[in-house]
Amino acid sequence: MNLNILWFILIAVIILGWSVMDGFDYGVGGLLRFISKNDDERRYVMNAIGPVWEGNQVWLILGGGAIFAAFPRVYASVFSGFYLAFMLVVWLIIFRAVSFEFRSRVESKSWRNFWDTDITVTGLGISLLLGVAIANILMGVPLNKDHIDYQSLFSLLNIFGLAGGLLSLSMFLMHGSTYLIMKTEGEIQKRARVFASRFAYAYIIFTILFLLLSLVFAQRLANNSFGIIGDIVPVIMIIGGIGVIVSAKSSSDIKPFAYSVLGIVGAVVSLAVGIFPDIVPSSINPEYSLNIYNSASNHLTLFVMLIATIIGLPLVLIYAFYAYKKFGLKVKMDESSY
Amino acid sequence: MDSLALILARFQFGMTAFFHFLYPPLTIGLGVLLVITEGIYVYSKNQDYLRITRFFAKLFAINFVVGVATGIVLEFQFGTNWSQYASFVGAIFGAPLAIEGLFAFFMESIFIGVMLLGWNRLSAKAHWVSTIFVAFASTLSGVWILVANSWMQSPRGYKIGSNGIPKMTNFWHVVFNPYFPSEFLHVIAGACEYSAFFMAGIASWFLIKNSKDMVMRKALKVAVIAGVIIACLQIVLGDISAREVVKYQPTKLAMMEAQWHSQRYAPETLFALPNNKTESNGPQIGIPGMLSMLAYMNPAAKVMGFNESIKYINHKYGLKLTPAMFPPVWIVFWSFHIMMYLGFYFAAVMIIALFLLLKNKLYDSRKMLKVFWFSTFLPLIALELGWFTTEIGRQPFTVYGLLTTVKSVSPNVSALEVGLSLFMFVMIYITLAAFAIFLFKKELNERLKGKDELAGEVSNMAGAKAKEVLS
Repeated sequence: MNLNILWFILIAVIILGWSVMDGFDYGVGGLLRFISKNDDERRYVMNAIGPVWEGNQVWLILGGGAIFAAFPRVYASVFSGFYLAFMLVVWLIIFRAVSFEFRSRVESKSWRNFWDTDITVTGLGISLLLGVAIANILMGVPLNKDHIDYQSLFSLLNIFGLAGGLLSLSMFLMHGSTYLIMKTEGEIQKRARVFASRFAYAYIIFTILFLLLSLVFAQRLANNSFGIIGDIVPVIMIIGGIGVIVSAKSSSDIKPFAYSVLGIVGAVVSLAVGIFPDIVPSSINPEYSLNIYNSASNHLTLFVMLIATIIGLPLVLIYAFYAYKKFGLKVKMDESSY
Repeated sequence: MDSLALILARFQFGMTAFFHFLYPPLTIGLGVLLVITEGIYVYSKNQDYLRITRFFAKLFAINFVVGVATGIVLEFQFGTNWSQYASFVGAIFGAPLAIEGLFAFFMESIFIGVMLLGWNRLSAKAHWVSTIFVAFASTLSGVWILVANSWMQSPRGYKIGSNGIPKMTNFWHVVFNPYFPSEFLHVIAGACEYSAFFMAGIASWFLIKNSKDMVMRKALKVAVIAGVIIACLQIVLGDISAREVVKYQPTKLAMMEAQWHSQRYAPETLFALPNNKTESNGPQIGIPGMLSMLAYMNPAAKVMGFNESIKYINHKYGLKLTPAMFPPVWIVFWSFHIMMYLGFYFAAVMIIALFLLLKNKLYDSRKMLKVFWFSTFLPLIALELGWFTTEIGRQPFTVYGLLTTVKSVSPNVSALEVGLSLFMFVMIYITLAAFAIFLFKKELNERLKGKDELAGEVSNMAGAKAKEVLS
């Protein structure tokens, strides 16, 4: 195994970390207005992610930095090529990042209502747009021979992109619901169980739809470099979804979340397997694609970054473990909560 | 690429960086001050210091989230708007950004959750430790961001590869490039200086309303003691930073000092109206020989003028730059000079305040308190002007001597697209700044109305322990 392949895997791991850790933040955010009715309930739901969402969001920043350092041409081509779509995501992230802190500072009803809507809309929007972007990359983007992508915002809104969006939206809403099953008790937990199983159904349906559409729009998924093993990987997604449906009805608080994580692992692995060894396929000419070799930094950079990751990532997991432990499994409100 | 798209992209980067940098200095510096006030509380058990910590932690939290929100785009903007830059330098410039995320920003963001929402879950000491982590991590975050920036000022540790793109050859040479140590110290000291003025200004506001506010008296005392040290140190650090400019960026030095012509006994120009067209300063006031003295420790030393410095770097880097490619000199000159004058003002204010503190007259001197209240946000102006000097002064390069700004921009993003995003960013950032000011004011007013930071905290472990000790 060479450093380029290793970095491809590490980027996949970071995307997985982001989807699992920040994914439930977006899911819980997207659910906020639907799962909780009054201010007490909303605060209770918000505080399920309250102490940890800041840390989770760093996975996104780390992902950006890691792609920049390891595969600078991917970073340059994708973000400039998807310019307005990406800006839209940034604006949603900005308005979400301030919402929790701002909301809790003022007691007025309309103020809080505004931020509740903001949290819900940004959670739904980010979850949807992520899938749209990834589906478009899988389908191939019009990279020219200099690996530059000239396309408009509207060209991203195609059937396959939309299917990808609905898939990621249902995935994060399912994930957020299962996280709430784990973190809450009583009425909210009951509702979360219902939501979890509904979104798991949606997740399974959209997964199947997406895979069927991929036979037309993104044949690289079926023709992946791993043969039959690669074709089987998406089954993990469906197993995860079924697991959520079954365990949401049981009395277990943790199993639905675990199955949801499995579903996300399936999705990220399927994506990685489907795209390898390219990172951004070109729809104009396969030779213009950005792959793990022609887009990568030089050997020393990849090596230095690998050492940094080997030292740094365990530290991150230690702090995160400490923070999650300090706040306990179930949400407890006190005067310093949001 | 039409030039309008380039102008808009530059304006957008400048604008987003400007707005973002309104917040991180307070995260860094106030973090350090909170470590001090909470530390005093942990060791003295004096509850007033806990009150200071908790009150300023509220302002810290508001400032922090806006800083994070406005910072996200900066990480991605190199890709969205400066894709040629990103492809060119990613192998070197990307590394510190990724390392920042991994080693600093994670620590900061995870412990900030613990610090802000964990008052009731941690013992006083454990809570203090999480505050220390937050302050340490925000400074460390500054380290890596400034590694990236200083590398753009004085690139080292690379070799141009066969494809014309720089390759990293030595990571530590990248990190410890010549600009890094002085830039890092200067920026961090600036952050601490601003935070000392921030704390002093707000404490003074409360003391103007009620001079018997014992909590804010203590806050003012801490801010003045920290502030006087840092404000005096900053003058030295600023001087050191300027010397790095002398050594590595002659064009920037010529613009900072409005030196049009090479000369011995170069004057330190205090006032001038630099004009690029006439290549002269109009009316000017200067101290003869002072610039030569400051730059080379020798009043007879020759300082390169604007045109000669351009010839010099053209020769050194094999380029064909013309003076017309450089920014208007007056911007760099005045950014630098106003920052410098503010630096002296800050040191003077802090020294006078220390004198009053030692004489026991500080809390009753309404004049001094008003000066502090007036100066609360002045260091922010100095900080931003410092960045104007550094970044505009580096033009027409993005990476000094290596890559020009014209060749850095995304070729596939149209003026319309950048115009649209720029408009949105202006709107969003003004809205965020307005919200932040509104919430700051609200916290100030609530405290003024008598809301005690420790009220309703019977279950607070840190608070409860303090209460036991006091009773």
